[in-house]
Order: sequence, then structure tokens, then C-alpha cells
Amino acid sequence: MSLDRKIAYINLTTGDVEVKPIPLDVRRKFLGGRGLDAYLLLNHSEKGCDPLGPDNPLIVSGGILTATCASATARTHVMAKSPLTGLLGSCNMGGFFAPEMAWAGFHHLVIKGKAKKPSYIYIHNGEIQIRDAKNIWGKTTTDAQWAIRDELDDQEVKSLVCGPAGENLVAFANVMTGIKNAGGRTGMGAVMGSKNLKAIACRGTMDINIAHPVEALEYNKRFIDQITSAKVNKTQGTLGTPMIWGATNSWGGVRTRNFQYNQCEYADDIEPEAIDDICEDTMGPYHMSGCFGCQVHCRAQYRIPSGPLKGKYEEGPEYTSQGAFGGETDTPRAETVLVGNHLVDQYGMDNLETGSLISWAMELYEKGIISSKDTDGLDLRFGNDEAVLEMIERICFRKGKVADALANGGIPASKTFGKDSFSYLIQVKGMSNLHSDERATPGLALNIATSSRGSDHLRSRPAIDLYHLPEEVLQKIYGSPIPYDGKLSSEHTEYIGKPWQVFWQENCYMGVDCLGICKYHTTFLGATLPNYEDWPKVLYYNTGLEFTPEELWDISRRCNMIERLFNLREGLTRNDLEKGDMLNHRYFDEPTRRGAIDVVGRVIDKKKFVKMVDEFYEHKGLDKKGNPKTETLKQLGLENEPSHML
Amino acid sequence: MAVDTNKESGAESLRKTRTYGKFRCHNPTCMGRLEPKPGDDHVKCPVCTSEFRVAWIKEGFPRIRGPVWEVNKKLAEEAFKKRWGDK
Repeated sequence: MSLDRKIAYINLTTGDVEVKPIPLDVRRKFLGGRGLDAYLLLNHSEKGCDPLGPDNPLIVSGGILTATCASATARTHVMAKSPLTGLLGSCNMGGFFAPEMAWAGFHHLVIKGKAKKPSYIYIHNGEIQIRDAKNIWGKTTTDAQWAIRDELDDQEVKSLVCGPAGENLVAFANVMTGIKNAGGRTGMGAVMGSKNLKAIACRGTMDINIAHPVEALEYNKRFIDQITSAKVNKTQGTLGTPMIWGATNSWGGVRTRNFQYNQCEYADDIEPEAIDDICEDTMGPYHMSGCFGCQVHCRAQYRIPSGPLKGKYEEGPEYTSQGAFGGETDTPRAETVLVGNHLVDQYGMDNLETGSLISWAMELYEKGIISSKDTDGLDLRFGNDEAVLEMIERICFRKGKVADALANGGIPASKTFGKDSFSYLIQVKGMSNLHSDERATPGLALNIATSSRGSDHLRSRPAIDLYHLPEEVLQKIYGSPIPYDGKLSSEHTEYIGKPWQVFWQENCYMGVDCLGICKYHTTFLGATLPNYEDWPKVLYYNTGLEFTPEELWDISRRCNMIERLFNLREGLTRNDLEKGDMLNHRYFDEPTRRGAIDVVGRVIDKKKFVKMVDEFYEHKGLDKKGNPKTETLKQLGLENEPSHML
Repeated sequence: MAVDTNKESGAESLRKTRTYGKFRCHNPTCMGRLEPKPGDDHVKCPVCTSEFRVAWIKEGFPRIRGPVWEVNKKLAEEAFKKRWGDK
């Protein structure tokens, strides 16, 4: 049974390991995955702890459904206090690691302390060892994984690793598994590096009993049909996620030249069909693959087609790399995107943060705030492909003044660069915005402003808001499982109803992150994909646990509130530009200049934005300052946190 | 029991609203449904005059590959000037 998967507390300083079961009442409150991780983080960290110090707990998990008969339960979640933001650190990745960890007996790891020398953790069928990583330290993310397999003489071992960027404490270093499965954003790879922890390797052959196996398989057929029949997933299975960037660029929703434009014109070379042609030319017609138990197959495979790295195998690129190394830096050339994608994967560095910071530095260079003297002669102008790729390497290895500053993250770098550099930095809570531009989409602007881990699209984005769905369809989606009698608007340039949509999506995404399911299998990019009404069935057949949709909604709210409590404890205040739910002034002051007719000339209306935040807080049960009301905590059963149940 | 095995969920019931062979104009307040003919590689929105290049995922499944840059850029520049003057 997946419910008998355990939690292990590993102290790298002392070498002590303690294993505990996860009580059912804890499961009923937090399910597993990201939600339970948030509970563990709040309970196992002290206020103000150093993100790169030994007391910052690194928490690794699978969801409650991981490795069961349910579809696409591949997701691994990692959480700690973030070295990038000083607030919640959280990342989520696909691949095959979390299922292997579940087969090895564990759903959650809480890792504290710091190893005396480079080490890795090996988990095999309930046993945990801390091993010497001297032969692995310094290796790229894939070389490290293959070296661990060779050392353990087992090619089925799945590892989660940090790359050179994590070892060098780059504040936005990733954890990685496989070729391109990236636990990006918020620098969890740097937390690994700070603990001298190169990798966590798992190998498991322990059965996971299914509560109602026949029904679970039968229902999964229905679930899979729902997933694979969606138009968005059919497109993703053909073109991969580049179709997202392509569509967004088409109407003018992407950042270009940092934040000066909202469309990358003449980007034909990096359009999804162009990337797909390269994948087909270099890997053949069957170049799409997928994560554990997933039928969408959105992962492309390619070889770099030209240049010094010609022939190198890689996976992706995701839409994020198109945005990071094509659009933002105004270098819409396939080779730059494909090589940039390869480098950040190998170094274990967040593509979105890297591309954003390079494009920010390019704007500072353009405005004379940094000069070629600061860049050691590198011509850091927009459109310079070589400069983009050079900067990726410099940041990873902290070479030179500018790159070393950028490696610490945008806000610390702005203090190094001085002048008005901070005002050009497109970030929320210290994390750079992804490659999108939300000036024409108030709902999406609210999403990035209030997201728990900083400016981010994967925590509360109402992406289906862009589809102009009829209001009755919106009511059907957003009016369940909790009735909503407010107005909703089909117009994504409107402000009406968006706070509820963002609140609903925040809960929906927390739900899938607790289950361990990919977001492409819920109401993220497709309006017809499973959510609260569907999940009780999957949960019941696989685990035997009964929940109503309303109960799952409450669990999601509870877990989101735990994240909020952590952020408040670490200094979140509503209007703080560095640690608050606030957008850069450019959203309010500088109109969009490109895109579709009704996208051009848009800014976010600040008064309406403030009203949206008020309304969003009201839905969450927060007061006007963003703090939880006493009755909200009581209703969610959080009035005694931290409660140290685990 | 919390699980009603036969009931169709809201998300499942929305499947019948899917449209095939069409896509929406990318101009937000237009969003008219456009239906390119099989094999077409361009489409012009009859309502807002935006123009798009068309790609085909497979037969009967078109998608917008991107704008016709020159046309939509001109439309955008005119729209910007109307809203913001020469700023």
C-alpha cells in the first residue's frame, strides 16, 4: 500500500538516520508531496535560518499516489528555505525518481546537517547509506548519474543530483534527474551543494499494493482517455511544450529584451514546428518520450544540429528555454536555444532565472549601468548569441564581476550594480519572472504577484483564461467543488472574477502536487482535464482512502496556508517589492508595444490590481495585510502550528 | 461512499464542447473562430483583419503557427498610436 511508505530523517553531520511511518491523520490533513513537505518545512526549520546553513532542512518527496496505478504520478517535489528568495523554496520535476524512491520504501526524506566531505545518499529497499562522493563531485548532472550507476553496478538506479552550479552555490541551481527533468526555481540545487550532498540515489523493488486494483485499472483507462483526447495534450505529444511559447508569442504575451517588448518578432527559427524539424532530423520520427506512467509524451529528444557542440544528445527544449535563451535576450536562433538548454541542464541551473538575469544584465548594459569593463570585454548586447551562451557558463562557474553577482540572484546583484538597476529587474519575492509578459492579462499578473515561491506560473496561473471560454463553461469549472456565485469574465484583459480564478487554480495546483500528478493532467492548459471531482476516485481505488471533492479542496487550502505561514514567518509583507505580493512598477507604467491589436498599449491598472489582491486575500481568508485571520486558521486546523506531529 | 463511479465529472462533461478543425483568432477581444480549409497555410480574421500562418498537427487539426509578421506589426503600430499617440 502506498500509505505504508515512510519518512526518513537523515542527518548528514552525524550520519544518523531515523525512519518513521506517516500516520493516517497526517495523510488526511496533508495527503503527501508538496503539501506535507510544507508542513515538514514549517515544523523542522527555525525562523531566519540560513538557507545555505546546515539547519535548513532539504525535503524530498513523492505524492500520495506515486508509483500506483494512477496515471502520470512521476512528480518529485523538493522543498527548503530558498537561497534565492529567503522565503519558500520549492520545485517539482518529472522523470522516474519519485516512483523509484517509493519502491525503495519512502515517500518523504528530511535531510539536515552538512556532510564533512562530498557525499551522496543511497536508498535501497528500506536501507539508507551515506556514501563518499569524491568520484562524483564536480561532474555534470548526467555524468554524475551515470557514475553513480557504474559505482553501484546497477543501471536501474535513479538519482536526483545537483550539478556544478549547485556545488558553486549559484542561488538558482537546480536539482536534476535524468537528462532534463529539472527541479527548477528557488535554488534547491544550491541547498544540496551547501550540504556537500551531490546526489540521492534510489533503487527499489518493494511492492506497492493497490487497494482496489481491478477498479483502479478500469478507472485509469477512463482517466487516460480524458487526458489523451484533450486537444492541448495531442498538440503537446506532437510538438512538446514549445507550442506554449509559440502560441503565447503569437499574440504578444512573452517578454523580449528583458521587459521592453512583449513579442519576439520574426522568431520563425524557434517556432515549435522548426524545433520539431530539428528533432526529427537528428533523432528520427519517433522523438517524443515521456515521464513515468504518462501518455502525453511531451518530451522531445534532439541532438545539437550545428556548432561546437554538434551531435550532443539532449531533451526538450521546454517552452521555458525558448523564452529564456531566445525571446528574452532577443536571440531567436534555434542553435542558441538548443545549446543554452543543454548547458543549463548539464550545469544544473534554472533556465528561467538564468535567461531572465542575462536579459536584465543586457538591459543594464544597454543603459550604461554596467559596462564592458564590468563584463571583462564581453559585448553584452541584446541579440548577441555568443554572449548569452558565454554568460551561462560564467554564471555557473562565477567567472567575472557581473556573472558572479548574477549567480547570487537578482536582488543581491542589484545591490552590487547600484544606480537604478533594481527598477529594471522583473521579479517578485526575489525570483525572476518567467519569460511571459502579463500586462495584457490581469489574472496572470495577480497570479505571479501572489504566488508562494515568487514570480511563477506553476502555482496559481489561470492559463485557460486565455481561451475565451464562455462564461457558463467558466462557471462550471470554477464553481466546483465550492459554489461561486460571483461574476466571471471570458475576457482575459478584464479584472472581473480573476481573484477567484487565481484562488481556485492555487488550490488545484496544490492538489495535484500533493497527489504527485503532473499539471498537464489537470485544469492547467486544458479545460476538460481532471480535477477535484475526478481525484476522489483515483485516490480511493489506489489507496482505499475516501475523500469528497470538498475535503480535497480543504486540504489544498490548508497546504497553501502552511506555505503562507512559512513565508510570513520569514518576512513576507504585502507591498514589499523584495518580499511581498507586489509587481515591478513597469507593469503599471510602461505600455506593451507589440502583439495583437487588443494586446498592444496595455498596462496593469494599479487601483484595480490592488482591489484584486484584496479580493484574493478575502477568498484565502487573509486580512488586508495578507495575514491569516484567526477564524481561517481555526477552520483549517492550523491554529496550533507548528504542531510537530512528525 | 464518497466515490460515485458512474457519475460524469464536470471536466468530463465539458468534452462535448471541444471543437475540431477550428481555432480562435489570437486577438483577445476578437477571438473569433477561424476555420482554415484543409492544407491552408494562411488565414485572415474577417472580423479584426489579423493574419496568421497555419500549421497542421494532423489532418483536420490546424493550429496557429504564428502571426504574419508584417501585417500584424502594422496593425499593432496603428493600435498603439491610437491609444498612446507618439509616446
